[in-house]
Amino acid sequence: MPQLGESIAEATVVRLLVGVGSAVTTDQEVMEVETNKATMGVTALCSGVVEELRAEEGVSYAVGTILGVLDVTEEEVARTGVDTLESLEKKRLEQVSEQQVKGEQNLHFAVEGEGYEEAAPPEIVPSIRGLSVPTGTMGAHYISPRMRARMDEMGLREADLSAIVGSGAGGRVTVDDLEKFLDYIQTWPSSQASPMRLAVADAMRRSWTRPLATVGTSLGLDKVLSHRRDQTKKAGPTLYLLRAFALALKEQPEVAGFLIGSKVVHPRSFDIGVAVAVEDGVLVPVIRQVDQKSLVDLVQEYDDLVDRARRRRLTEADTKGGIATVTNFGTFGLTWGTPIPLPNETLILGIGAGVKKPVWSEHLSAFVPATEADLEMTFDHRVVDGGGAGLLLRRIVGLLQEPHLL
Amino acid sequence: MSVTYIDAIREAQETLLREDPRVFLYGQDIAAFGGAFKATKGLAEMFPDRVLDAPISEDAMAGLAIGAALQGMRPIIEMQFADFSSIAFNQIVNHAATHFYRTGMPVPITVRLPSGGTAGSGPFHSQSMEAIYAHYPGVVVVTPATVADAYSMLIESVNLDDPVIFCEHKFLYRWLKAKSFQGDGLPIGKARITRMGRHATVVTYSAMVHEAVRAAERLQKESGWEIEVVDLRSVKPLDIDTVLASVARTGRLLALGEAFPWGGVTAEVVSRVVADGFHLLEAPPMRLNSRDTPVPYHPKLWAAHRPTPESICDSLRKLLSY
Amino acid sequence: MTDHTSITSQRTGADYVRAMYCAMIQARMLENKLSSLYKAGKIVGGVYLGKGQEAVSAALGSALIPGRDIFAPLIRDQAGRTAFGEPFIDCARAYLGSVLGPMRGRDGNIHRGRPREGMLAMISHLGSAVSVVAGSLLAKRLQGHLPGTVGATCVGDGATSTGAFHEGLNLAAVEKLPLVVIVANNQFAYSTPTSRQYACEDLVDRAKGYGVTGHSVDGTDFLACAGVIGNAVSLARAGGGPQLVVARLLRLSGHGEHDDGSYVPDSVKAGIYGRDCIDVAEQQLLEFQIMSAEEIAAIRETAAVEVQAAVAQAQQEPVPDPYLEDWRAFSSELSQPQS
Repeated sequence: MPQLGESIAEATVVRLLVGVGSAVTTDQEVMEVETNKATMGVTALCSGVVEELRAEEGVSYAVGTILGVLDVTEEEVARTGVDTLESLEKKRLEQVSEQQVKGEQNLHFAVEGEGYEEAAPPEIVPSIRGLSVPTGTMGAHYISPRMRARMDEMGLREADLSAIVGSGAGGRVTVDDLEKFLDYIQTWPSSQASPMRLAVADAMRRSWTRPLATVGTSLGLDKVLSHRRDQTKKAGPTLYLLRAFALALKEQPEVAGFLIGSKVVHPRSFDIGVAVAVEDGVLVPVIRQVDQKSLVDLVQEYDDLVDRARRRRLTEADTKGGIATVTNFGTFGLTWGTPIPLPNETLILGIGAGVKKPVWSEHLSAFVPATEADLEMTFDHRVVDGGGAGLLLRRIVGLLQEPHLL
Repeated sequence: MSVTYIDAIREAQETLLREDPRVFLYGQDIAAFGGAFKATKGLAEMFPDRVLDAPISEDAMAGLAIGAALQGMRPIIEMQFADFSSIAFNQIVNHAATHFYRTGMPVPITVRLPSGGTAGSGPFHSQSMEAIYAHYPGVVVVTPATVADAYSMLIESVNLDDPVIFCEHKFLYRWLKAKSFQGDGLPIGKARITRMGRHATVVTYSAMVHEAVRAAERLQKESGWEIEVVDLRSVKPLDIDTVLASVARTGRLLALGEAFPWGGVTAEVVSRVVADGFHLLEAPPMRLNSRDTPVPYHPKLWAAHRPTPESICDSLRKLLSY
Repeated sequence: MTDHTSITSQRTGADYVRAMYCAMIQARMLENKLSSLYKAGKIVGGVYLGKGQEAVSAALGSALIPGRDIFAPLIRDQAGRTAFGEPFIDCARAYLGSVLGPMRGRDGNIHRGRPREGMLAMISHLGSAVSVVAGSLLAKRLQGHLPGTVGATCVGDGATSTGAFHEGLNLAAVEKLPLVVIVANNQFAYSTPTSRQYACEDLVDRAKGYGVTGHSVDGTDFLACAGVIGNAVSLARAGGGPQLVVARLLRLSGHGEHDDGSYVPDSVKAGIYGRDCIDVAEQQLLEFQIMSAEEIAAIRETAAVEVQAAVAQAQQEPVPDPYLEDWRAFSSELSQPQS
């Protein structure tokens, strides 16, 4: 049955004009067919004798159905280029195998139930186009807008995704991975983090976005300790360190500069914070203009701030505007550490517990007992280098060897 | 007993002619001949004054419809093929589409565009023109994908006071069958969730709805993916709320259309989803259209020119593996 | 268009030419005012005048019956619009952008219309109104209102080169509709002379090709316009099918007021079609004692006052406010308005 017009799927044979055994000539009408558009003749494309008539009058046939077969000489086939039953079958087989090879099928709604070849998942190649993610972006590096929205909804940060192994393209963490992980950790014991914990976590996460480095040296404490013994109003070792830090910074303020874009913001005033351990966190009250106050003058202010910090009675103003921080982890019995500066500061100075050690004395040509503590400074390596930080650290050590000048 | 998509279009026109004396049909070969696709078969016998053969003058046919609509009529223009409506483009987008905004008087014409490709139809009998008309303010563009929609949306189109481009897909004319013309009664401007799913959304319209459903069934069988298929039904107005709600469920979007790839409905869907639903997206939204060439004549080229269940599956696998 | 609702049949004789002359004078005075407003910077956008074409335009407009007939004027049809009953204030409001005008500032100048009252609002695409008027007439046929009704439109020589003109006139001929198409052959389409527009000897020869009745007239000859155009409208009204009238004349202004028309040779301006149809009209009205000099002076005086009043009113009216504009191109309440 020929394709007799646009979107015609079938046609009805109205009248057969030839019978089996009839001789037909090229372009002779052999039957009349009717579509819902028109009635028209179906012609023979070559001369021959009707061998078989498969069509019956009054019956509809789908487009492409063989309606009859002509017995034709080979010369006539060659002359007219018509299809034979053999060539049609060959074409059909070729088409089937071609479809299997290419997976390309001109199939539409009418065809049902064809099988589907299982295909390997397509490989995702890094590209600036389409769906691929840039190469080497494992884990949480690429976050889809949907996952970003989900994370915001749950108050999650990228750091919270560090435990998730991504299953997406290039190993990225998908929103499904996240949901599965959240389901998984449901089975573990958990507790609500305190506001203090969350505040410290946030400050440390922000600070950690910078390239931080730590240098350290030994500090002889004997001069400080003997100076302290002679005082009536006694300052603690942290306060000595605070005062020496401020004086040293006043000499080289650029070390405490804060880098914003291409600008270094310099200290406006030598206000230095003190880390105070409180329940489930740390508070850092700031002592103002440490460079301009004597040690004795500082004692009262220091004690008051530390006391209020421990009682959680600091005001917002008490913790603002510092340029650097001092932390004494010696109070926990520790000898050294790598403190992390506040996110808005470039420097933090840490001191460990004082330890009595034998120290070689060139003068006496003998080991003598001395009290020493380790002093560490962590700094933003974008702003200052190891040499600059070391210079500052040695100057602090030097100032602490002359405590009467503090 | 089943009815086809073309039956629905014919039946809707008969209903309209019978029930509304303002309705008349104007188009080439539509009267005694019954139309190139028999969409008006027998109607001229029933309504000889109101089913009229037009000269081959698409511009004048559209102009005539506008003039008649201004006098209170509800003309339906049959373009023999959507492709030829390019000749009437000026009247439609400059005259009909601007008229309400300019004068306050609407122009209720319906222009039927036998649209889309069929095997062997070639570059000038296969086009999908919906995006071009939808670009212009003041034109409603509908693209029914089901027998019931073809029926109810044609009636609704004629009853709308605004000009409507009615894109009916030639491929569906006789292939698509249904039990009756009765559907769910969704109005123009509302999309339909044709198939529910939760892993990805395919937003499409017209004949591609059926190709998308096929692809979805294949993926379900193959690997259990559940693909949601949204039938836009009308591309203007575009029901972006239903689309966004679907993307909110699935996080992944494939906008699918048979039209050419530059701009168009799929680009509009993607841009709106990105603008209004960026936070919903788990993967970059994808588009799948025909190739960027004229529609080829040979069935083998044609089948590779338009999206097929195979190419839709390929796109979805890529989208799902992201 | 209240003044004209009393007209129930086509004007004839002295009534007809008096109405023509009134419309011509009123149009000329209104357009002179528009020209001066444009030169004073009061009008945004173009100003397109029908100077020199008033006789042709008014002959058509005065032969039509407002409320029954359909009229699709083009850009040089102020006289026809006025004759068909368009009040001056419509024109003044459209040009000055009054929000109270028929187009509310959404379209301007000569694109105005009153489609509900049978005067269509033109678009800039030439020839496109021919089929639209034909469609309005077909509607009247289907509604049973066609007998005694006419539809008319005007084009220039340039529009005869468009496909739309051809398709529309051919379709009107096929449908045997009472359509009158006036071609004001003013010798220039903007700056393009007719030698670059068509190659036939006379545009009226095309009438035979379309199977419609053709008429020729000297568009500067007031009484000839009344005779030929009035007759064409009568023939259409009587069931004679489409009528094509080709009027030969000259545009006595530029394409718009931004254009000085310097490309029009002096010899053409000095030629037979360079005369002013209003001068011809007054001379003929007096010569044939249709109107007296006093009547003519009175009409001029009244027109001047009315034009001035309309312009003054429109100038004081509010212009559109983008914040109050509804920005809707659809009239239907579709469930998802397009953003």
